[in-house]
Amino acid sequence: MSQFFSQAILIAAVAGGIRLAVPLLLAALGETYGQRSGVLNLGVDGVMLLGAFGGYFTVLELGNVWLGLVVGVGIGAILGLATAFISVTLGAEQGISGIGVYLFGLGMSDLLFQKLVGTPLPIESFPKVPLPGLSSIPVVGEMLFQHSLVVYAAFLLVPISTFVINRTTFGMNIRAVGENPEAADSVGISVARVRYATVLIGGILAGVAGAALAIDLGIFQQNLTNAQGFIAVALVYFGAWRPLGVMGGALLYGMVNSIVLQLKTLGIIPRSWSDIAAMAPAVITILALVLVARRFRQPAALAKPFVRET
Amino acid sequence: MLELRGIVKRFPGVLANDRVDFSVRPGEVHTLLGENGAGKSTLMKIVYGLYRPDDGDVLVDGRPVEIHRPTDAIALGIGMVHQHFMLVDTLTVAENVAMGMRSSRRPLTDLDVVADRIEELGERFGLPVDPHAVVWQLSVGQRQRVEILKALYREARLLILDEPTAVLTPQEADQLFDTLRAMTADGRGIIFISHKLREVLALSDRITVLRHGRVVGEVDDVGAATRESLAEMMVGRQVKLAPDKDQARPGEPRLRIRGLRVQGDRGVEAVCGVDLDVCSGEILGIAGVSGNGQRELAEAVAGLRRPSGGTVTVDGVELSTASPADTHAAGVRYISESRMREGAIGAFTVAENLLLVDHGDRRFHRRGLFDDRAIEEHCRHLVDQYQVKTPALDTPVESLSGGNIQKLIVARELSARPNVLVASQPTRGVDIGAAEYIHAQLVAERDRGTAVVVISEDLDEVLALADRIAVIYEGRIVDIVERTDANRETLGLMMAGGHPTSR
Amino acid sequence: MRKHTRTMRWLVLGAVLAIAAAACGGSDDSGGGDGGGGETFRIAIVAPSASNDLAFTQSIVDAVNRVKDERGNIEVAVTDGTFVVEDAAAAIRDYASQGYDLVIAHGSQYGGSLQEIAPEFPDTTFAWGTAADTFGLDNVYAYEAASNEGGYVMGVMGAMLSKSKVIGIIGPIEVGDAKLYVDGYAAGVEAEDPGATVNINYTGSFSDVGLASEAAQAQIAAGADVLTGTAQMVVGAVGVAKDKGVLWFGTQSNQTSLAPEIVVASQVYHWEVILDQILDQIAAGKKGGETFKIDLANDGIVIEYNDGFDLPADVKQKAEETIAGIVDGSIDAG
Repeated sequence: MSQFFSQAILIAAVAGGIRLAVPLLLAALGETYGQRSGVLNLGVDGVMLLGAFGGYFTVLELGNVWLGLVVGVGIGAILGLATAFISVTLGAEQGISGIGVYLFGLGMSDLLFQKLVGTPLPIESFPKVPLPGLSSIPVVGEMLFQHSLVVYAAFLLVPISTFVINRTTFGMNIRAVGENPEAADSVGISVARVRYATVLIGGILAGVAGAALAIDLGIFQQNLTNAQGFIAVALVYFGAWRPLGVMGGALLYGMVNSIVLQLKTLGIIPRSWSDIAAMAPAVITILALVLVARRFRQPAALAKPFVRET
Repeated sequence: MLELRGIVKRFPGVLANDRVDFSVRPGEVHTLLGENGAGKSTLMKIVYGLYRPDDGDVLVDGRPVEIHRPTDAIALGIGMVHQHFMLVDTLTVAENVAMGMRSSRRPLTDLDVVADRIEELGERFGLPVDPHAVVWQLSVGQRQRVEILKALYREARLLILDEPTAVLTPQEADQLFDTLRAMTADGRGIIFISHKLREVLALSDRITVLRHGRVVGEVDDVGAATRESLAEMMVGRQVKLAPDKDQARPGEPRLRIRGLRVQGDRGVEAVCGVDLDVCSGEILGIAGVSGNGQRELAEAVAGLRRPSGGTVTVDGVELSTASPADTHAAGVRYISESRMREGAIGAFTVAENLLLVDHGDRRFHRRGLFDDRAIEEHCRHLVDQYQVKTPALDTPVESLSGGNIQKLIVARELSARPNVLVASQPTRGVDIGAAEYIHAQLVAERDRGTAVVVISEDLDEVLALADRIAVIYEGRIVDIVERTDANRETLGLMMAGGHPTSR
Repeated sequence: MRKHTRTMRWLVLGAVLAIAAAACGGSDDSGGGDGGGGETFRIAIVAPSASNDLAFTQSIVDAVNRVKDERGNIEVAVTDGTFVVEDAAAAIRDYASQGYDLVIAHGSQYGGSLQEIAPEFPDTTFAWGTAADTFGLDNVYAYEAASNEGGYVMGVMGAMLSKSKVIGIIGPIEVGDAKLYVDGYAAGVEAEDPGATVNINYTGSFSDVGLASEAAQAQIAAGADVLTGTAQMVVGAVGVAKDKGVLWFGTQSNQTSLAPEIVVASQVYHWEVILDQILDQIAAGKKGGETFKIDLANDGIVIEYNDGFDLPADVKQKAEETIAGIVDGSIDAG
């Protein structure tokens, strides 16, 4: 056990946890906007997959990681608008239509990959940007401040999202529409417009999450996300629809995963326990968040299409 | 300031508004009176932009206007307090008021500015409420104040209130009336929708009565109107607002409740130690604002909810742990307040619903099968006797009106000749004619020797029916008074939790 | 009601689109046309990951295509990406009922399904692996790879190349082919340098690329300067190895293209060795009941060196000696 507490291992465990958390955090923050406004989007994983492929392919062809991220934004925006059209304009059953978007993303990303790329080729990853000053703090600096800009940006989005949701008129409208769309409608807030905006934000962040994942790994493969989009949706629930809670969930999930990997590598978790230990991140995250989030209530209009009676 | 001319609104199969003329002047309360389905709410939804009229004109300050959506109405200075509040429970009062308004600090909110204005308006019109409180923490009366503040904050000159007193205690209603008078004194106009005749008479400057979508009466001199004259206009014939009844001749106690404790749905104790005796041949009225344990009390007596403590005895038989079937066998019958959820099955026919409870009775069987002839005879008899208006016995109940469904349930429960009858909100949502009939049946049941319990939020109904009145507040009986000693003010005070003074 | 039908319409449209996309992506019918006189031999492959996963699935697809090129007059159909066993079972049944001559169920997890399906189609030959069990059915062949042998050889090389004397192995779940390879590699390291540390990390997933990447990070943090790993998710680990400049040994397919700088060698499966035997048997009228194995001795397993990597001569010589030792039985690869 003592070897786990060696400096190098601890640094690797924490830094690894942060890396694992970032795609989940981005996707879950986006989903938080949608759910706060009453739209449940289960298609996150499909958007992530297409964003991942788009980002990967762009970097493969053009060699610029930031262009790859921009393509992730674009793909996310298009799929976000499509999702909004299905959920808001058509008022479809959100759970099932989300699964449709997921299957579309899963199949389409694989199809495009087979046709356009074929055999996986490695691509460039995001450059690491040690933050001046902070990164030279012993231990902590290496854990927290020697990541890529995407990592810092993802965490910066947490306070920004909290602020947007709680302190701006847009955020107030999101909360109102998610709780009582009839009431919001009665004072002239366009429920559809608010929900389009949040689902668009959700799509963009899911697309970015996928692109960031593929570019960070430097590779694409069929079903690259391995259902991370669904974990992101779950994190929104367990994070009690609050950006900070969502961040806590994503970090916890990433950290437990990373620590379990370290403990397995060092043989502290015996190999016979390996498969059970693989479930630990999900179980621990769910338990912890359920304990914390029990007292919060979901947005009252979540997953309910709004149709004004005429 | 507002004038409606020849408004027509059709829904499939229904003419909801038929050439309705209506107007409001600054500084007046103009009441729109009518039974359920008379077209009051439809007319107001047209004014507020929720419905479009099929024909007719809407004029504001003499100019014809098109109101397509609520924001158009708000821009014209029209505000509406809906029967179901349009509030977001998880937002604060200030956020609810600011919602949809342009912020002075866009894109950020300006809730401190809004809060100041709320306090200012609250002071001026007698609407005290904490701007920083979250709405779900507020009482129903406070929420209504927030709705009115929302309209005032939007500088409404004309305020529509749809059944505003339905959810208020008498004291809260009085406070509301003070606010409304302050608003009319300020030159604002008010459209008041209600079917409570007493408050309509107390508040209105003018009254327009709707029946079947049409204006059937206008009262300009409210002082000369009476409850009876208004009721007659609403129904189209003379009605008795209180049933004729003789002095009760109570016999032995049939229903005895001792120390009854019942848990509510959320696990909180809803009935906290109630003692009651109800005698043969009397009606005990239970008055109280809804949600004070009435439903749990009734369900415990009816055997539908197991008490956590105490006893319920009917004719000497202890029933607090009995099954619903045993309670039933002891002659306890229950007319539930939620008639479509518990009282009747919408998709079943009239006959099936009439037989729902007694389908095991030997009278209706022959050789192990239903005896169709006997059943039809029984149902036909009940439908005729209780004046249930239905096209046929095999009509699904969901296509009947609320009043007729209620009459059907009353028919079913009374046909069993109960020993104890618990009637919860027996006439809520029922038109005056049907209410009159149901009241008469309850009195007849009393005179047959049944112990009758009537639970109602409507003080007029309790006063009209009961021989003794118990007031319930937060799961406890505040006091029990003889009908002859009861007065509306002290009952109202007790319903709000105030303690009885000297009697 | 109206809203309901409208919703349904869009759901159906979405589902159709999704299925179309999945179907196009999932199968690659390089059909050869049936009109060639009915002599065409039809082979179908059902496999869990992508045909170009540079790992397990690619190994069989490449092998079948090589056999096709050699023999000619063979039609090949592939359904890949069936990581859900039920989907695979449906595909296996489809191919059998379409009259394919040989249906290859390329995944030990498909055994249960095959056991049910095979008796229903006595005219079709089924092959499944990696496994050794034919369920006593006379139309089922089983095939396996002695992946421990290649693992052992590369373990010997890894031990010689490692400076830190810490070697990391990344696996998916401790079963079948993966376990065989991991144990063989560890045995090779142990044989060459009993003092070296071997850290073995099963991530618990065949498909989680991100987790495999972090597993590589963990191995490197624990001091490893030589890494290997098996199953399709290791592409994530190869990227990390490349970034950190540690050496990599591949298996199942040649992984040099992923990181030409640091891939030392790959163990490559040449299933065509046993496919040839199976096709010959079928031609002779024997439809199953036998288990085949590729190994170093029958050239079904080949160590392919990365020409771009400057492999010290002594290491290469030792590797060739080890191969010879395993083939002649003087070395036990575990």
